[in-house]
Amino acid sequence: MSGSLMTARYPQWVYAAALAALPLQTYKRLRMLMSLGQPSEVWEALQEGERLLPGVKTECWRAWHAVPSQSLVEIAESCIDNDITVTTNRDSRYPSVLLGDPHAPAVIFSKGNLQSLHHRRVGIVGTRTATQQGRYSARHLGQSLAEAGVCVVSGLARGIDYESHVGAFAATGDIAAMPCAVVASGLNKVYPPEHHELWKRMGEEALLLSEAPPNAPAETHRFPLRNRILAALSEVLVVVESRSTGGSMITVREAMKRDITVMAVPGAVKVPSCEGTNMLLRDGCAPVLDVSDVLVALGLDTRRHAGVVDTREPPTATEQLVLEAMGNAPCTIDELSLRTNQRVVDVAVLLGRLEAKDWVGHVDGWWEALLR
Amino acid sequence: MYAAIESATLIGTTGVAITVEAHVGNGLPGFTVVGLPDEGCRESRDRVRAAMLSSGFDWPNKRITINLAGAGERRGGAGLDLAIAVGVLVANEVLAPEFVQGMSFIAELGLDGSLRPTPGTAPLVAAVRDTVAVVAHSAVSEASLARPEKLRAVRSLAELVQVLNGEESWPHLDDHDVPVEHDVVPDLADVRGQASARLALEVAAAGMHHLLMVGPPGAGKSMLARRLPGILPRLTEDEAFACAMVRSAAGMPLHAGVVTSPPFRSPHHSMSMAAMVGGGSAHIRPGELTLANNGVLFLDEMGEFAPTVLDALRQPLEEGVVHIARAQGSISMPARSLLVAATNPCPCGGGGPGTCGCQLPIKQRYFRRFSGPLLDRFDLRINLARPSTAELTSSEHGECSAVVAERVQKVRDLSLRRQGCVNSAIPADMLDEVASLSEDAMGVLRTRLDSGRLSGRGYHRVRRVARTLADLHGETGVIITQWVEVALSLRVSFNAADGTFR
Repeated sequence: MSGSLMTARYPQWVYAAALAALPLQTYKRLRMLMSLGQPSEVWEALQEGERLLPGVKTECWRAWHAVPSQSLVEIAESCIDNDITVTTNRDSRYPSVLLGDPHAPAVIFSKGNLQSLHHRRVGIVGTRTATQQGRYSARHLGQSLAEAGVCVVSGLARGIDYESHVGAFAATGDIAAMPCAVVASGLNKVYPPEHHELWKRMGEEALLLSEAPPNAPAETHRFPLRNRILAALSEVLVVVESRSTGGSMITVREAMKRDITVMAVPGAVKVPSCEGTNMLLRDGCAPVLDVSDVLVALGLDTRRHAGVVDTREPPTATEQLVLEAMGNAPCTIDELSLRTNQRVVDVAVLLGRLEAKDWVGHVDGWWEALLR
Repeated sequence: MYAAIESATLIGTTGVAITVEAHVGNGLPGFTVVGLPDEGCRESRDRVRAAMLSSGFDWPNKRITINLAGAGERRGGAGLDLAIAVGVLVANEVLAPEFVQGMSFIAELGLDGSLRPTPGTAPLVAAVRDTVAVVAHSAVSEASLARPEKLRAVRSLAELVQVLNGEESWPHLDDHDVPVEHDVVPDLADVRGQASARLALEVAAAGMHHLLMVGPPGAGKSMLARRLPGILPRLTEDEAFACAMVRSAAGMPLHAGVVTSPPFRSPHHSMSMAAMVGGGSAHIRPGELTLANNGVLFLDEMGEFAPTVLDALRQPLEEGVVHIARAQGSISMPARSLLVAATNPCPCGGGGPGTCGCQLPIKQRYFRRFSGPLLDRFDLRINLARPSTAELTSSEHGECSAVVAERVQKVRDLSLRRQGCVNSAIPADMLDEVASLSEDAMGVLRTRLDSGRLSGRGYHRVRRVARTLADLHGETGVIITQWVEVALSLRVSFNAADGTFR
């Protein structure tokens, strides 16, 4: 490095963002580059074609050398336009929980309040194609944890992630904590698109963070990387519903590497979207039957809070019969009619009433009891 | 020198009487057909000439002009062959004009002089009511559907001339007192389980509510749909006759008699728009929509049909008539059928909960093919699942078609007496009078409307279905909550946000 005494033209975060946005950049290379000195110095050295790191391929250096200095302005503009904050591991605001992590991102892009991470943190992950019961559990868990002052960390993906965030936002009470979402794409690239509203709200009221620079699309390889940050930020990781393979199981592995407690919500046997969680339980993972299980794992006092009150209107005696006949696996109206020995029309009516009271849900003709 | 022979041509599904004029005169020898003939008719020049020569008649070495007199519409069809041949024979003074007085001729000619049946014989014969119709011998049964009396049939042109000249008498026709036939329709008793789908079928049949079935392969969608004609009311004499006319016009083989079971059409999804609504350039043929008139139109794998074909269904479904316009003119054909469609919940076929591995955008794309307005036409939208082991092995048989058909017939009679139409066709302004709701039932609907889960159009449709449900259960008065709730449960909707039916 030239060690120039020349003062930087832009704030250091602009250089850091530009380094993160370099082509062929990986989080390991970025960590090494950031460890060499001030981002502006590293940037200038790269512009001059210096090969600062051992073991990095020639084409990578060429590509870095070829980046126009104009890209500094472009990335600064897109950060400012989208209200994105850039934090490096040299800043005092950098989340302390990530400081000791050897795989933590050196540069974090965030929107919202980084202070959210000062709360106790629980990660909630799960499949995108969850059952109704799974969605219901995730939402309920998210809300109860947030009400106990715990920051719910999740990935803003479809299914369980979405529900846990929605639940966290629904929390009320004096000590309710805001959630935190770790996403894979750039913060101005909403993915999945239908979560546009929640994405926006997350950035405005809670915390939205990503290691991807603005404009980075939601590419497949970014999701496992996102999961490692998610795991690193969690004190306890709760898997609500997961298939035997997939993103949630990657998060679980990342959490286990970091010695983070993993807990799982038991699901129905033989339902594919519960296979992963049931497997975890078989392997000795602690089950989550209730929010207090998670609070105990965090070492929080569960007695201070009132017990969970079911605010739903209780089912009538005839509705109760149907509810009990449903068991814990999805079933069809026809099956229920056989089990309860009632006419289809009567079962349909009872299910409709139970649905209005939020006791059951259905998707594609499959009905499920929603139990807490 | 001149002759005018009565015949008929087909426009859509109806026959239209026309006069075939023939003129044989001096001039450069030739044979021309004028009067907007279509391609098939121009070819008849060659057929007629060959048939005449084969039958041992002289072909006049003169100028022959055939005119198809009538309105300025393009017409034709091989069915005019015989009329042209007879016209030439009369004009050439082989036959005396008085022998063909009051007769009409409808048949195609073979090169050997034999008479062949022509597609649409039944409606063609019906069009020439006042005359004695001569048809090919093999078309008698079809022609006698339209009119058993004043019908003559011969086997060849030579035979016809002999008969007309009085050398022989008309061949004897078997007594065709049109037999009434019932198609063999599979019985509903064969279906195990599927209680809710049976209910939906019964409601669909009773109120003519269009039905959409969503379910994985093997759930029994097609099996159920094929049993629908068995529970629909039998066709009335007029309906059965109209049905036979349409089949004849489409050139389909007719059964030996009038079939009183409702038609069941199940076109393949590769079909074109013209095959669905009807079409063709010179000669407009009825499409599947018209062939299924008064019966069931079953679209299996609805997602695989071309979106334009599906959307073309919308207007005919509302009006019960399909209008086809071409440069030469426009025609209307009946299209009042019960639409039953089946589709998988997603491209992979789905299955139990959580077994589908389709990405959301793929599911959304799959259902984008069904336009909202089309999905709205289905009063009944149900989810089907593969029957469980318990259902399959239960020794209990479901009700058989006859029992269900009786209930359906009762509701039909009742609804026709009450409002003069089937329940699905109750006009919106008559709903309060015919399908009044109890206070509680109204409350249920209001909650749904407020929550945005029910559209304005859906509101009316749910009320009509509730009316049918109440009728089926013998409650003809004010509709109670229960039926509204069941009607709502028979109307799941597609959620684009998460790609599910709820």
